[in-house]
Amino acid sequence: MGSSNKKKKEKKKDFQKAKLKVGKAKPKASNFTDTSFKSKSVVVNQQTLSTEGSDPIEQFKSNLSLAVTGKSDNQRRDALAYVANQISAKPPNNPIGTAGLLTKLLPLLSDGSAAVRTQLLKLFRILPPSEVKPHVEKILMYVRGGMTHLSNDIRSDTLNILEWLLEVAGDETVSCPGGWLKTLNSFSSMLGWNPSVGSAMTTKGWTLAAKTTLGSTKGPEARTRQIQVLARFLQVGFKAEDPAPHDPTAYWDNIYRLPRAPNPFAYLNLFGTPRDEDSEMYPDRTSRQRIFDMKWRIAISAGMEGAKKEGGAVGRAASALDRALTEGHGSQDAGL
Amino acid sequence: MVKRKVAALEKVDADLVSLQYKIRRDPKSYTQEFYDQWLAYDAQRQIFISAPATASSDDVKKFHDLVDLVAHVADLYPDLTAPYATHLKDLLNRHHAILDPELREKVVGSLVLLRRKDVIDSTSLLTTLFPILVSTPSKTLRALLYTKIISDLRESNSKATNHRLNRTIQTVLHNLVTSDRTSSKGIWATRITRELWRRQIWTDAKPCDVMKEACLSDNEKVVVGGVRFFLGGDKEREEMEDESSGDEVDLRKVKHQSGINKKSKKRAKAYEKALDKVKRQERKKKAPHPLNFSALHLIHDPQGFAEQLFQKHLQNTKNKFSLDNKLLVLQLVTRLVGLHKLTVLSLYSWFVRYLTPKQAQVTSFLASLAQATHSLVPPDAIEPLIVKIANEFVSEAAASEVAAAGLNAIREVAMRQPLAMNETLLQDLVLYQRSKDKGVVMAAKGLQSLYREVYPEMLQKKLRGKAATIGLRSGEVKLRKFGEEDEGGIEGLELLVKYKEEQKQKRADQAQADGEDKEKDSDDEDGFNSSDWEVGSEDSDDDSESGWIAVSSESEDDEPPASKRPRTKSESEAPDLVDGEDKEKEDAAAEADRVSKLATTSILTPADLAKLQELRRQAQIDKAMGTTTSRKKKELLAKHIEDGVTAEDIELPATLGKKTTKEERVALAKEGKPSREEHKSTQAIRKAKKEAEGKSSTNKEKARKKNFLMTVGKARAKNKRSLVDTQKTLRAHIARSKSGGRRRNGL
Repeated sequence: MGSSNKKKKEKKKDFQKAKLKVGKAKPKASNFTDTSFKSKSVVVNQQTLSTEGSDPIEQFKSNLSLAVTGKSDNQRRDALAYVANQISAKPPNNPIGTAGLLTKLLPLLSDGSAAVRTQLLKLFRILPPSEVKPHVEKILMYVRGGMTHLSNDIRSDTLNILEWLLEVAGDETVSCPGGWLKTLNSFSSMLGWNPSVGSAMTTKGWTLAAKTTLGSTKGPEARTRQIQVLARFLQVGFKAEDPAPHDPTAYWDNIYRLPRAPNPFAYLNLFGTPRDEDSEMYPDRTSRQRIFDMKWRIAISAGMEGAKKEGGAVGRAASALDRALTEGHGSQDAGL
Repeated sequence: MVKRKVAALEKVDADLVSLQYKIRRDPKSYTQEFYDQWLAYDAQRQIFISAPATASSDDVKKFHDLVDLVAHVADLYPDLTAPYATHLKDLLNRHHAILDPELREKVVGSLVLLRRKDVIDSTSLLTTLFPILVSTPSKTLRALLYTKIISDLRESNSKATNHRLNRTIQTVLHNLVTSDRTSSKGIWATRITRELWRRQIWTDAKPCDVMKEACLSDNEKVVVGGVRFFLGGDKEREEMEDESSGDEVDLRKVKHQSGINKKSKKRAKAYEKALDKVKRQERKKKAPHPLNFSALHLIHDPQGFAEQLFQKHLQNTKNKFSLDNKLLVLQLVTRLVGLHKLTVLSLYSWFVRYLTPKQAQVTSFLASLAQATHSLVPPDAIEPLIVKIANEFVSEAAASEVAAAGLNAIREVAMRQPLAMNETLLQDLVLYQRSKDKGVVMAAKGLQSLYREVYPEMLQKKLRGKAATIGLRSGEVKLRKFGEEDEGGIEGLELLVKYKEEQKQKRADQAQADGEDKEKDSDDEDGFNSSDWEVGSEDSDDDSESGWIAVSSESEDDEPPASKRPRTKSESEAPDLVDGEDKEKEDAAAEADRVSKLATTSILTPADLAKLQELRRQAQIDKAMGTTTSRKKKELLAKHIEDGVTAEDIELPATLGKKTTKEERVALAKEGKPSREEHKSTQAIRKAKKEAEGKSSTNKEKARKKNFLMTVGKARAKNKRSLVDTQKTLRAHIARSKSGGRRRNGL
């Protein structure tokens, strides 16, 4: 009896009318579907079904990403070595181009592991100089970041990179926007020859080395190296420009031909943010000399004299710097 | 952002946190180090800005850390870090859409930090954050910016109101709402304004103006934001105030606890904090009550506003708002009309369409109609509506629920404009009290009692009731003509006079009893007792029940007793009716004179005004309720004075006599009881609650839970004791219990 009663009730349910109440919204039908929501994206859990990736291009890419994001130092170093191998092969296998490679690898400049940094320098040395030249500005940014890094090891390794950069693209290095004055800023901060924060540095000691209290100081070796690289940097900056070889079509090329170099009107800074004095570009020797005389000559000379008096390796490096300075200055006089 | 695990050595080598710590301890010696980091920051910034979208996670991390460092020590090197704030602002303005979320948060946090260190001012911070709040597509960033903006505004207004900043921000919000009426950006203006209104940081007319503009926007969300503010903003503000004053600290308890518990710095601090809080609350209590006007009263040109709202959102047939939102707008329009007694005639004809029982949410429409009615609405405009309601809702064929709602709505309308009813209809409607349904009966009776009071001639003679018939004959109950108003004066002043006299009397009695000196007495008579000036000062008097009851019992009739006596006399002695009337007039004149004298001879203090308002309200309630239960009285009191009519008011009689469903009964029973997700005893729930509050269990509980093996040895030893030992223990127990237990309680 009970079951039949239940069945009766169930049957009745289908035909019962929903009760309407005054002032209340009509009850929703039983088959009502809410379609008011909107979805902006659909997530697919499995993006790809194929798992084989033995393709050399894929392998190169995976190694490259491993070099950047790998968890262990060895992994990163090995991945970098693989990439270096591929580039140095004949013909070089570089599917993403030097520009892409640099974008990926430059952050490794301040990598924690010394082995990785050394490997990185090796890799950079393999890169074709002509392809590095357009990216000097970007590399310099990272170099400056590395030069003011808290860790001394990274600082000195960054100097190696700067040296390499001066070798392969010296002119571009000193003439790109911010390449001259900002790099000098970094040098002065590294060496502690700094007029703008001089007030706090008045305490006299036997050495004028920057009183870095963080990390381990490497002693005079690091300092020698810094002065050497600075000397090299100044040499490149003050190098007498070779007169351009006579080109009879130059005049017409200028007028009618599209320029071949990337961003040929960089000095006009048409689309970038306005530059201040530090990040301005100093494309020729005289302008570099002028701004150097204005801002840095006194500070660097003073620092140099101090370093000379210290003698030893530091003193020798300082005399090399002195030579670079006098040469640059002398030829300026000659030029005038 | 994938974070690489840093090796231990590297951590020591490049620890920005420790550098920050050192810099802050000795900024001068660490200038060089900071300068290094500043250069590093600059380089990293260059790297980042050159490709903000594709920056590697490492770079972002480094930049993040450097931004953090510089922000924390920026105030120590103001000349070196001068461009820092501009950098951050630029970064945020240009790249907020593509910045890494963590970095973005850090940049916002750093800007706020700079503000707190007074490196930048509030205006520049807010003008930076606000445009981003409005334009960013990221929800988390919006939430972050919103909280930061609100907290900064609060902070800069905490000591003293910062008028300049407020004006600037209000102008920004106003412009935001008015510049592009179709965009939904105005929603932020409404949200910020509402929040600051709630916290009583903004209380003047300008934010109301912003909200007014929001109401007139084209965007539905913004409109709803604005409308909701006017409908509920003030209530919210009051609730917030109650809430903040609610959490009292029991200083005695804290002191007692600190005496018992182990003395520690933490406890001492806790006591100091409690003391501080109590002091602050005291100060707050003593402070003059902020005279805050409600938002509806601060609106400039309510007539124009109501008309515009109505035309734009309700009358306009092209408007596609949802019904709920339309109802909200309607509520606001009708509230404005009712509160300011505005005349928007087209509103009433607009209502006709919606007054059918099949209309969704029709009770809200009915409530709005009642709200929109006031004494200055022409009866011609409302009469057709009443007829329509009567035809559509109130008939034998209609469901009882519908009829009750209709009758109640008619009563609400007629209460505000009694002239709108015609006699035949009223007599017809009143007859519904013979219905079988309780709700309908109550609604019809309500209508009848209303007309007994305001216009008894309309009712059939037998339905008029005794009081109304007597009132009619004596000419006391008169129909107020259209547009007739009370004579000017202070409403309820006579109540205050009476109250003052009573107080004086009481004091005199007391003085006699105590034999107090004359000086104070004379002071009292002046009515300028300095302690009477403050609003709160008379509270102690009010709380004593005697004062209350004395007032309410006498003012029940809302008529001074002096004028009541002669009237009854004139009724019983018909012959000297003329004489009696003369006398009555004289008495009334004397009374009026006395009352007006109070207003003209003395200055009403804020305390007086507050008392007056209270008395007025009490009298009103007493009159309306007669002798009702205290619960209902409380409910009436709880109702906000400016609350409009709601749909619930209209639906109320329909719910009378209805049986509640089982679910409702269960919900009612569950109210206020601890929630019970699983089947658990009450005790278990209590225990869990206690545990969650961080309180310990009882000794009994601990004894019960003690490990068996720890107790078994003692239990065994007890059994093996010699007789003498047992005796000793028992003796000791008795002695101990006499001296108050082990703790020597009571000694």
